[in-house]
Amino acid sequence: MRPAVELRPIVELTGVTRAYGSRLALDRVDLALHAGELTFLVGPSGSGKTTLLRLINREIRPTSGQVSVAGIAAHELKTSRIAELRRRVGVVFQDYKLLPRLTALENVAFGLQVGDLRVSDEEARDRALDALEAVGLGDRGRAFPHQLSGGQQQRVAIARAVVAQPPVLIADEPTGNLDQDTAWEIMDLFEDIAAWGTAVLVATHNVEIVTRLKRRVVTLVCGRLVRDQPAGQTGRMAWLALS
Amino acid sequence: MAGVVVKGRFPRRRLIQVVAANLVRYLFQGAARNWARNIGSTAPALISMTLLLLMSGLIGLTGFTLHNLEQIEASQASLLHIYLRDDAAQEDVAALWKRLAADPRVAGVVYVSKDDALSRAKSIPGLPELAGSTESNPFPASLDVQAKSIDDVAGIDALVRDESVVDPVQPTSYDRGAYQRLQAVLFGIAVAGLAFLGLLGFVAITVTMNSIKAAIHARRDEITIMQLVGAPRWMVRGPFVIEGAITGALAGTVAGLITFALASAAIALGSGSFTQFAPGVTAAVVAVAAGIVLLTGLSLGSGSSLMTLRRHMES
Repeated sequence: MRPAVELRPIVELTGVTRAYGSRLALDRVDLALHAGELTFLVGPSGSGKTTLLRLINREIRPTSGQVSVAGIAAHELKTSRIAELRRRVGVVFQDYKLLPRLTALENVAFGLQVGDLRVSDEEARDRALDALEAVGLGDRGRAFPHQLSGGQQQRVAIARAVVAQPPVLIADEPTGNLDQDTAWEIMDLFEDIAAWGTAVLVATHNVEIVTRLKRRVVTLVCGRLVRDQPAGQTGRMAWLALS
Repeated sequence: MAGVVVKGRFPRRRLIQVVAANLVRYLFQGAARNWARNIGSTAPALISMTLLLLMSGLIGLTGFTLHNLEQIEASQASLLHIYLRDDAAQEDVAALWKRLAADPRVAGVVYVSKDDALSRAKSIPGLPELAGSTESNPFPASLDVQAKSIDDVAGIDALVRDESVVDPVQPTSYDRGAYQRLQAVLFGIAVAGLAFLGLLGFVAITVTMNSIKAAIHARRDEITIMQLVGAPRWMVRGPFVIEGAITGALAGTVAGLITFALASAAIALGSGSFTQFAPGVTAAVVAVAAGIVLLTGLSLGSGSSLMTLRRHMES
């Protein structure tokens, strides 16, 4: 049974502006993400999608405004406490970022253990195996990344991102390197992860997936949030005309 | 069994074991593995640091020797030998001894007979042959005057130089400006040594920093992953600091051993005469110098890594 969406947002951006020199990457953006919600972040290239994701993960600070992630004020977080925030945010990249010398199981366990040294080898192995099984790769734990297809590598990356059960998962173009069928499989996974109660934010250019899944869609254009379309609606992808 | 709290056996000890095992694996083993894997890019840093530390060790020992020599010279420079004629009358010598002892600039006066001078000369390397080459005793008797200050030595020399009991050919051991010249030479050597070490240090630190920078670049994916899964900052940076420390420790060990071997060989080969040229340099001093070289390497390597991390690794 799908958990009820909490009223209090897990991620909240309030009046967030981020400038790179004189150029505004984000301009007074307000956004709230809730537990159990899968949200697509769309917009043309250079619209500020990656900047928004990086703000949530405290890779950068906002020029002004507030960013709250799982109860932590990311905008005023000291460098020494960034790790604490990042343990609450899973991240998936377009290029997977798996360590080539580690097996799939070791990649997932590595993410778990370096994030929390108190996790023993046995526990890390068990939890990594559970995560791999959850993404459908329970039998490929011993495979090295080069022995896996792109879709399988992305599944391993997703397993690594969720193995510590973070309340937030962000993904930057996770299907950018995958064919459409594989992209659908990955999106199914994100739906499952959201159904477990995680707030999932996926930045993507994949119009077909965004249109057909009918999830919440947040559209950025030139750093401004121009449309926040609730789940269940089908809207025009206005940003396509601008890209 | 309501209300009974059942605790696991040694849960704290188990936790400490787990944390320690993870630390060893991800910090130390990881650093050692990466260091071995990157030996090609680390080699220039290793070589330059070994050279720096070796030169530091040798220059340090030389500096120690020169410092001891300077101390000896300083004490000897305030000691004036007044050489007496072989035919000087004992009462005239005693009169001069009295006058000198009463002089406020003089700390003490000791009479050294010809026999004492000969036996003293025999203890100095090279002089026994000279002493044995003639049947007569070539060394004069002397009054050894210890001046209270080096600055007073010239005045005392002027006072006694023309005395009838004093040898007219070689009246005293006073050499105007000898001590100052020695000091100037030592100062020049010290400045040149420090400048040379500074240059070598700059090269070694720069090369080490570049090798760590290359290591950071080569492992940027691993660093990114560690940062994004919430690894603490020290955990991300630690392996690089340890890699730098390994480079420094290895360079320090090699340089320390070479320093020890060279200095020990010099002591062994030089035997008696070496102590005159390198006073105070014993096997124990050489061992301490080698240890200092090792520790310097360790701190230089880890320090260079830290500087590189501050510059080239983002949070």
